[in-house]
Amino acid sequence: MHGASRRACDDESVNSSQLDTISVKTSDNVTLGYSVAGLGSRLVAQILDNLVALPLTLIAILLYGALAGVFVTSEQGAGFAGAGAGFFAGFVYFGYFFVAEAVTGGKTPGKSAMGLRVIRIDGSAADFGALAVRNVIRIVDVAVLLVGVVVMFFQPQTRRLGDLGAGTIVVRDRAMVTLAAAVAPPPVMLRTPDAGPPIDGLERIGSHERDALRVFLSRAGLTPKLRAELAAEIAQRLLDRLQLPQGAPERLWPPELFIERVYLQLDQRYP
Amino acid sequence: MSLDAFIAERQARWSALEAAIKTAKRGRLRTQSASDIERFGTLLRQTSSDLAIARRDHPDAPITEYLNALCARAHPLLYRGRPWRVGAVGPFFATALPRSFRAAWPYILSSLVLMLIGFVAGWVAAYVRPDLRASLVPPSLFDEMARGQIGTGVQDAPFAAAFIIQNNIRVALICFAGGMLLGIPTVLVLLANGWMLGTVAAAVHLGGYDYQFWSLILPHGILELSVIVISGGTGLMLAAAILRPGQLRRGEALARVAVRAVLLVLGAASLLIIAGTLETFVSPSSLPDGVKLATGGLVGVLLYSWLLLAGRTSRRRRSFRFDRPAETPA
Repeated sequence: MHGASRRACDDESVNSSQLDTISVKTSDNVTLGYSVAGLGSRLVAQILDNLVALPLTLIAILLYGALAGVFVTSEQGAGFAGAGAGFFAGFVYFGYFFVAEAVTGGKTPGKSAMGLRVIRIDGSAADFGALAVRNVIRIVDVAVLLVGVVVMFFQPQTRRLGDLGAGTIVVRDRAMVTLAAAVAPPPVMLRTPDAGPPIDGLERIGSHERDALRVFLSRAGLTPKLRAELAAEIAQRLLDRLQLPQGAPERLWPPELFIERVYLQLDQRYP
Repeated sequence: MSLDAFIAERQARWSALEAAIKTAKRGRLRTQSASDIERFGTLLRQTSSDLAIARRDHPDAPITEYLNALCARAHPLLYRGRPWRVGAVGPFFATALPRSFRAAWPYILSSLVLMLIGFVAGWVAAYVRPDLRASLVPPSLFDEMARGQIGTGVQDAPFAAAFIIQNNIRVALICFAGGMLLGIPTVLVLLANGWMLGTVAAAVHLGGYDYQFWSLILPHGILELSVIVISGGTGLMLAAAILRPGQLRRGEALARVAVRAVLLVLGAASLLIIAGTLETFVSPSSLPDGVKLATGGLVGVLLYSWLLLAGRTSRRRRSFRFDRPAETPA
C-alpha cells in the first residue's frame, strides 16, 4: 500500500505540468489519473455542508438548552449547562462531517452535490481511520484562523492539513465523458465513393495518421470553406510524408479527395 | 486495431462495469454476492488493460479519458482498507489500544515531561511570588477547604459531568490536532495544564491543605491527567513525523503514524467519560478523604495494569513457530 503511494508520488513529479491530476499506479501496473478537486468546488461544497451542519448545530444547542431549562436548579448548574451547550455544539458540528463521510464512503452531502469524493492518495477508498484523522484535524483547519484554507491555497493538490495528515485527497468523482460521447461519430466521405487507385508510399505512414484523419473526417460543423482550407494543409503534410515524386498523379487530386482516399486505404491496411 | 473496432469489440464490458458501479451503495460493493464482486474485479482488470491499450494507441481520443474516468471510479470500490465494524470495538480496547500506548512510549514520556516542567515551573512561581498567589488560586478555595466545605457535592451534577467530560475531550482532541501545527499548541496545552496544577498545588501546600486538595484531585485526576498526557503524546507523534520524517516523504511519514495516533487519542478520550463521572460524583462528595485517595489509587492501578499488561503475547507464543507467520504488534 505504501509502496503504491510512493510510486504515485513519483509519477506525480513526472507529470508536474498537470497539477490538477494525480496519477496512481494500480496493482495491474496501469496508471490511473484522478482529477483533483479545486479550491473553488471544495469551498462551495463546504458552504453547502454548512447549510446542513449549522442548522443541526443550532437544533443541538436548543435541545441542550431545553433540557437544561427543565432540569437545572442552581446558578452553578446553569453555568455548566451554558458552557456544556457550547462544547456540545462543537461536537455536533464536527461530528456531522465525520459521520457523513464515514457513512457514505467519503462524500458529505455538499461534496456529493459538487461531485467530489475523499479517497486515499494511493487511489484506494478512504477507510475509517483515515476519515477519523482528517476530521479530527478539521478542528485545527477551521478553528485556527482557517489555516486549512491557507494551506489548500498553497498546496498544489488543494489538500488541507487534515488531508495531509490522513494521506487523503478530494477528487472529482463524476463521469465527465459518457460512452456515447466518447465514441466518435463515423467519418463522412464527401468527395469519393471508394478508396480509389492505390497510392504509392502508403507504407510510410500508419494507423496514427489514420486515426488523425478520422478525427478530421468525422468533425461536424466545419463550413465547406474551412474544411477545404484545413484539408489543403493536411494534404500538403501527407504528400511530404508519402514522399511522392513531383509528377505523381495524387498531387493533382483535390486535397479533400486525396485525404479521403488516403484514409480509406489506410483503414483497409490497418483494420 | 482501429479505434472503431477497439470500441465495438470491448464496449460491452465497459457498460457492464459502469452498470456495476451504479449498483454500489454508499461507496461500497458489500450488498453484492461474492461472485458479483469477483466479476467486478475481472471487469475492472479487463477495463484497465483496455485503458493501457487506449493510452498507447489513441492517447488523445475521448475514449481514453472515458476509460480512465471509469477505472478511477471503480478502483476505490474494490481497493479499500479493512472496514470498520461494531464488533471491532471490543478487541480494540482489549489489545490494540494498550499496544499502541506501549508503542508510543517515547512520545507519551516526552508529553509527561512537558507537563512536569509546567508543574514545577508553576510550583516555583507560586513560591517565589507569594503576592501573586491570590490571583493564581481563587481565595474561596482556601476558605472552603478551611471550613471543610469541599465535601458538599456539586449542584446539577449531570450538567457538571457533561461539561467536564466535553471540555476534557475537547482538550484531548486539540492536543492531537495541534500536532499538525508542529505540535506548538500541544506543547502549550501540556505546559499550561502542568502550570495550573503546580501553582494551585504549591499554594495549597503553603496553606497546609495538601491532604484535602489531593483527595479532591486524585480520584479523577489520575485518569484525566493520564489521558491529557497520552493525547499530548499523539500530538507529538504527528509533529515528530513532520519534523523528522527520516527516509520517508513527510506526507507518507505523517500518514503512517496519524491513523495509529488518532485511534489512540479517541480510545483515550473515551476514558474521560469515566473520569468526568468520578470528578462529579466522587471527588467533591462527602466521602472521607481516605476513601477518595484510595479510589484514585485503585483507578490508577487498574488503568496502568491495563495499559502496560493487556495484549502482551506470552514468551512461549512469541517464540518462533514454523506453522505460523511471525506476529506483528498492531
